[in-house]
Amino acid sequence: MKKKLLSVLLASSMLLSLAACGNKTETAEEKASTQTSTSVQMAGQGNENAKAEEGGNNTGVINVCLASEPASLDPAVNSSVDGASVISHLFSGLAKWGLDSKGKVELQPDCAEEFTEGVKNDDGTVTYTYKLKDGLKWSDGKDVTAGDFVYAWNRAAGPALAADYCYMFDVILGYDEMYADGAKGDEKLKVEAPDDKTIVVTLKNDVPYWNELLAFPAYMPVREDVVADESWSTDPKTYICNGAYTISDWQHNSVIKLAKRDDFVDAADVTMNEINFYLSDDNNNMLANFENGSWEFIDEVPNNEISNLKEKYPTELKIEGQLGTYYICWNNNESLLPKSSKLTGTEKAKAEAEIRNAIALLIDRNYIVNDVSKKGEIPASSFVAMGLTDADGSQFYENAGPDPSYVGYYDVTETGYEANWGKAVETLKKYYTYDETKQQFTDVPKLTYLYNTNDNHKAIAEAVQASLSTLGITMSLENQEWATFLETRKKGDFSVARNGWLADYNDPISFLDMWITGSGNNDVQFGKGANKDQKAYSLDITDLGYDTKVENGTWAETYDVIVKDIKECTDSKTRYELMHRAEDLLMSTGCICPIYFYTDIYMIDESVSGFYSSPLGFKFFLHAKVNK
Amino acid sequence: MNTKTLMYILKRILLAVVTVWVVITVTFFVMHAVPGGPFVGEKAVTEAVMKAMEAKYGLDKPLSAQYLTYLKDITKFDFGPSLKQRGRTVNNIIFDGMKTSVKLGVLAALIALAFGVVFGAIAALRRNKLVDRIIMIITTAFVSMPSFIMGTLLLLVFSSKLGIFPANGAEKNGLVLPVITLSLYPMAYITRLTRSSMLEVLGQDYIRTAKAKGVSGVKIIFGHALKNSLIPVITYFGPMLAYIVTGSLVVEQIFAVPGIGRAFVNSITGRDYPLVMGTTIVLATLIVIMNLVGDVMYKIVDPRITLD
Repeated sequence: MKKKLLSVLLASSMLLSLAACGNKTETAEEKASTQTSTSVQMAGQGNENAKAEEGGNNTGVINVCLASEPASLDPAVNSSVDGASVISHLFSGLAKWGLDSKGKVELQPDCAEEFTEGVKNDDGTVTYTYKLKDGLKWSDGKDVTAGDFVYAWNRAAGPALAADYCYMFDVILGYDEMYADGAKGDEKLKVEAPDDKTIVVTLKNDVPYWNELLAFPAYMPVREDVVADESWSTDPKTYICNGAYTISDWQHNSVIKLAKRDDFVDAADVTMNEINFYLSDDNNNMLANFENGSWEFIDEVPNNEISNLKEKYPTELKIEGQLGTYYICWNNNESLLPKSSKLTGTEKAKAEAEIRNAIALLIDRNYIVNDVSKKGEIPASSFVAMGLTDADGSQFYENAGPDPSYVGYYDVTETGYEANWGKAVETLKKYYTYDETKQQFTDVPKLTYLYNTNDNHKAIAEAVQASLSTLGITMSLENQEWATFLETRKKGDFSVARNGWLADYNDPISFLDMWITGSGNNDVQFGKGANKDQKAYSLDITDLGYDTKVENGTWAETYDVIVKDIKECTDSKTRYELMHRAEDLLMSTGCICPIYFYTDIYMIDESVSGFYSSPLGFKFFLHAKVNK
Repeated sequence: MNTKTLMYILKRILLAVVTVWVVITVTFFVMHAVPGGPFVGEKAVTEAVMKAMEAKYGLDKPLSAQYLTYLKDITKFDFGPSLKQRGRTVNNIIFDGMKTSVKLGVLAALIALAFGVVFGAIAALRRNKLVDRIIMIITTAFVSMPSFIMGTLLLLVFSSKLGIFPANGAEKNGLVLPVITLSLYPMAYITRLTRSSMLEVLGQDYIRTAKAKGVSGVKIIFGHALKNSLIPVITYFGPMLAYIVTGSLVVEQIFAVPGIGRAFVNSITGRDYPLVMGTTIVLATLIVIMNLVGDVMYKIVDPRITLD
């Protein structure tokens, strides 16, 4: 693939510079230790602590804190990463995230005997048949049956439960009927249990991330008689599960205690007897508990302490990659041209896209990740995040963008910044008046940057503001409380807003289908509002065997079409190429301005070995040992 | 207690009920007027899901209808289901939180009272001596230091560095630091109140008379002076409780205490309407009742006061 080697070099140089920039006054020795701690490890790797293996006996008990109390531990209802981590210990689905013999994280069959190949039907649908392993038991001793899966999937997908993650089932045949106009409520997914051991499920088409979905909490089995009362998942007595652990005690907002199940089918592999998930919503409190030795693992650290912690805990502080992008989104309906401009229609839209893309070049992403945010984030120049794979298993983001000489849609290396600045100024000069003596633009409309109240978001906003003000572009900052902010942004009541997105599964489509016209996440307002019929988008995918060739069409005629094609495409290579084209189209609008790829920062005590996390950031302690 | 006092108490109770009703009404409408909703998240849920959820919790009905239903429900002490923590009722969450918060609040109030009165008395008796100076300096510091700074400081020293007390409120001895944090301000305030009021009382004629008659110092203090100098302290009872209730919002957060304060704060940020209402009503009722008790006690301690 193009650019691969180069991007590896770039990435490693970024990491080195990052480690070097973090602490400017430290000695060489300290620097070396800081480097180890700040090097970003891609999630999905085992996290072996060398020291932990050396001595001591496994105490069999681990105290961890991921976050505050999850809103629900019902696997179908949960929508948080921390909740998913707890649920992953309590339930086992057809698949799971486990470690291979080399300690690398991989998907493995769990309740299913093996991963089976799908059988393609004449109409393009794909049917999978799974056999359940022997000896699967619920925590109350009853057998786990195929029917439990069928029930659970229909429950999680259906409108009656109204779960946030119901759309995770939209790959299965029958899902659309559940939500069609005039649906009666008794529509079912195309999943059947011909006998207690067999599950037959039919997907709309070949889905590359299907096995991954099988390990997602929403796909865990639940038993009809258990979940009949909605409060089942709030009390250890009624919480009947089928995973490696049961809840032995739950003090709400304080601690959830898990005890290993001896009748679990793979109990022999489970090294941790008790996991105590402490619940706290204060980062400083988490740190205090870690520092005084009460907790061996904390999933969050106070932002303003990161520099100190890197020095103080070089081996305990870990930074892993995460499938997410921090970005700035523009409101597509906000006018950017000066009052004197006579451009209208398509010309105006294209000019504005060019302006937005130019302003994206003015942002110093390296400064933001090294000196502002400091969590080892990777400067981003594409929307689909680092960590998502391409057709050939390489990184999708490395293959994105028009120019093979850099990764992504613009060069975000430190060396590229100056050239970017020059390019941006040249572009902006086409549309705005430039005062050569002051080296500033004089008639750029005033921008307002909206963010939710948070120190980190504020600091990033200020960094962007400072860059723009050098050129005379005024940007005022406005912050709103979280829930208010979400509504304002969703309604399109902003000009520029902070935004972020984390993938639900390792497939670029989870970053792309959110921008179709009708999507609830279309904060940019593509194809909506004042510029609803704006004809400014071009798409040509005839070379890929499709008959779509649009010159200056609407968003619905271009982007919505390509996303639909991606969803229906059964050829993996073509599908990934379509996704690159979709991202090209998205980025050409300039409405998405990526800042960095998220990282997952946490602290783990040196005594812990055998801990790992999945690419989505679920934390696993069942194979861990605490050697004290 | 004469009929006049009884009438007064009845009137105050009636007024308290009206106060709580006003709080309910204002909170209900303001809460719904604030942008954002319980089912809005970073990732948008589909329209169908949103509609289903709103129908399930009756949020699709007109606001006035929701208000009337709510009033009807709370007369039966049914605060409804939580919108965020699915499967849990607000009653259940409040009950859980109150168990811890009441313990925290009562302990803090008792410590503040006990130490405040003693230190105040000592300071008054040793007026302008070294002990008095030290007590005054310390209390001035405590009165002016906000609880979130004090809490963080205690957490840092006694938990992070020394490891004497746990940083987690749910553990054994976990309430020690939160109780201290919460009691310091009212304790300092009571010390200063007691001191100044005691000084005033000690200058009164009847104390001088007692002294002239040769009554022992201890008896003067505990038999005559203390009771009268406590009147201002009793008036402080209501405000102190209000402070402890609001202070616990911060302190519970710092020490991860699973109390009602945290539930209250989280319910607002999450727009968990029934939980916002439930916690507001409980906290408002508590403050109203405590103010009432304070006023009545005031009357009992000082019969000269006429109630109206």
